[in-house]
Amino acid sequence: MMKKLRKINPLLIIVLVCSVFWLMPLALIFINSFKPHNDIIMDFLALPKSWSLDMYIETWVMFEFPRLVGNTLLYTVSSIAVVALLAPMAAYKLARTKDRLSKVCFGLIIMPMMVPFQSYMISLTRLTANVNLSGTRLGYIMVNIGLLMPLAVYMIHGFVKNVPIELEECARIDGASRIRTYFNIVLPLLKPILTTVVVLDALATWNDIITNQLIVGGKQQAMNISSALYMQFSANTSDWEHALPGIVMSMIPALIFFVFMQKHIMGGITDGAVKG
Amino acid sequence: MKARKIKELLIFALFVFPAVAFVLFATDIPFVMNLYYSVFDWNGIGKNMKFVGLDNFIKIFTNDRLFWQGVRFTLKFAVFYVIIVNIISLAIALPLSRPGRTSSFGRAFYYIPYIISLTTLSLLWKFIFGPGFESLYNLTGWEFFNWSWVGTPKLVFYVIIIMTVWQNVGFYMVNYIAGIIAVPRELMEAARIDGASSFQVLRKITLPLIMPAASICMLTSLTFAFKLFDIIMVFTKGGPANSTITVAYNIYREAFTKSNYGMATAKSLVFVVFVLMVTVVQLKITKSREVEA
Repeated sequence: MMKKLRKINPLLIIVLVCSVFWLMPLALIFINSFKPHNDIIMDFLALPKSWSLDMYIETWVMFEFPRLVGNTLLYTVSSIAVVALLAPMAAYKLARTKDRLSKVCFGLIIMPMMVPFQSYMISLTRLTANVNLSGTRLGYIMVNIGLLMPLAVYMIHGFVKNVPIELEECARIDGASRIRTYFNIVLPLLKPILTTVVVLDALATWNDIITNQLIVGGKQQAMNISSALYMQFSANTSDWEHALPGIVMSMIPALIFFVFMQKHIMGGITDGAVKG
Repeated sequence: MKARKIKELLIFALFVFPAVAFVLFATDIPFVMNLYYSVFDWNGIGKNMKFVGLDNFIKIFTNDRLFWQGVRFTLKFAVFYVIIVNIISLAIALPLSRPGRTSSFGRAFYYIPYIISLTTLSLLWKFIFGPGFESLYNLTGWEFFNWSWVGTPKLVFYVIIIMTVWQNVGFYMVNYIAGIIAVPRELMEAARIDGASSFQVLRKITLPLIMPAASICMLTSLTFAFKLFDIIMVFTKGGPANSTITVAYNIYREAFTKSNYGMATAKSLVFVVFVLMVTVVQLKITKSREVEA
């Protein structure tokens, strides 16, 4: 017992204690989401008098959460489905082809990683308006896919380079077509990096607000959860009784997702940056 | 032979072109449109596009006080942010890089703010600095809690620093931990046997060897700071009294509030050059300080 205690680094303990304080703001949001306004002002550090879900239910109904959650889910699922289908195909082919066309295509895909978003943001809204896609769900999904694609292709491209080519050659000699070779042999090998990409993109889409604001604007029908809460409460910030339950509810799916996918989320960053 | 080549090309197109099409639509084509619009005087809607050559660019450099105010704010923010976020994330990464369940809990805790949305981030801190501080003032009577943190130009700067550092520390921590884990343990043990103190090991062995990770963290934090936009758009909208307008937010305002499309696109190009320049310089400096293990 003594030995075990001594092994714990005092610095580690300090850092752990601080980590609890680091999460204090989130805990405060949570406990205050159950309080009426007067109790918040009285003592916002105190626990609520009752843990009744009334305000949660009221917020859920008042701000049409079923539609918001539905939209956000639709955006997340459709974006990652398309990215998970197209990004590995492109990354694989680009990594295996060594001609000029391949280089040009790769350049076009990773160009946006080098320039800031603001350098094409303005004309992006212009372009979506010109093709009658602004304010629509389809327009938002298409833009979102286009914005997620560069990093996804880049990460998978780096991974494919380390996948041995012999397996594919064997399959080809055995008479499998290109497309079959890809789906049956190559794609399963890309699973680790593909999981990382999907997990990071799902989080990014769920939490997105800037792209949604730019493309969807004020169109109620196509807003996602972050956008709608932002529009509602940035104008009317005194309504904390509804704002706090709203943001807690918008956060819960992301937090649950984080608990289960922690390894991919935290590992994914270093896959993309340090090793890439 | 020719048929074979065409078939190859078709397969390449099938694999690559769909992805390229999405990227073209969302980024590459708008970027080119930006280049085009930047030499016009245009409000973004009407048919009236007046060709003005390089006038927009000249105006930025000679007659745009708000833009340069934005540059100053962005630079000031960058200095504070890069230093603070890197010191804190390195400090927590050092003890948390040990393997084990306890430290993995610590890592997760610091990381959680990084996965919340901007809306949550912005409402959260508005709440803390608003009703939260009001309540603390009622409880303690400390004047400090009664200041208008979000409404005063001087103070809102620190609020933005606190928000951005709080949210992003977890991201840099993970990168530092990856760097620290890659340092060979034998080196540290050898130094220990030779009688080096913990601090000496840190200074002479760990820090030089994690320079690759540190350079990545510095670079990403610096470019993050230069591109600071989302939080401004969602949290302060540039206020109070235009005190928090960053370069990137200035571009957004020029286009969407003032409807100066031509001018806004010209600014965005100046901004690209600005960001690229800093990135290149920073990369050169940190690369030269890396040490091979």
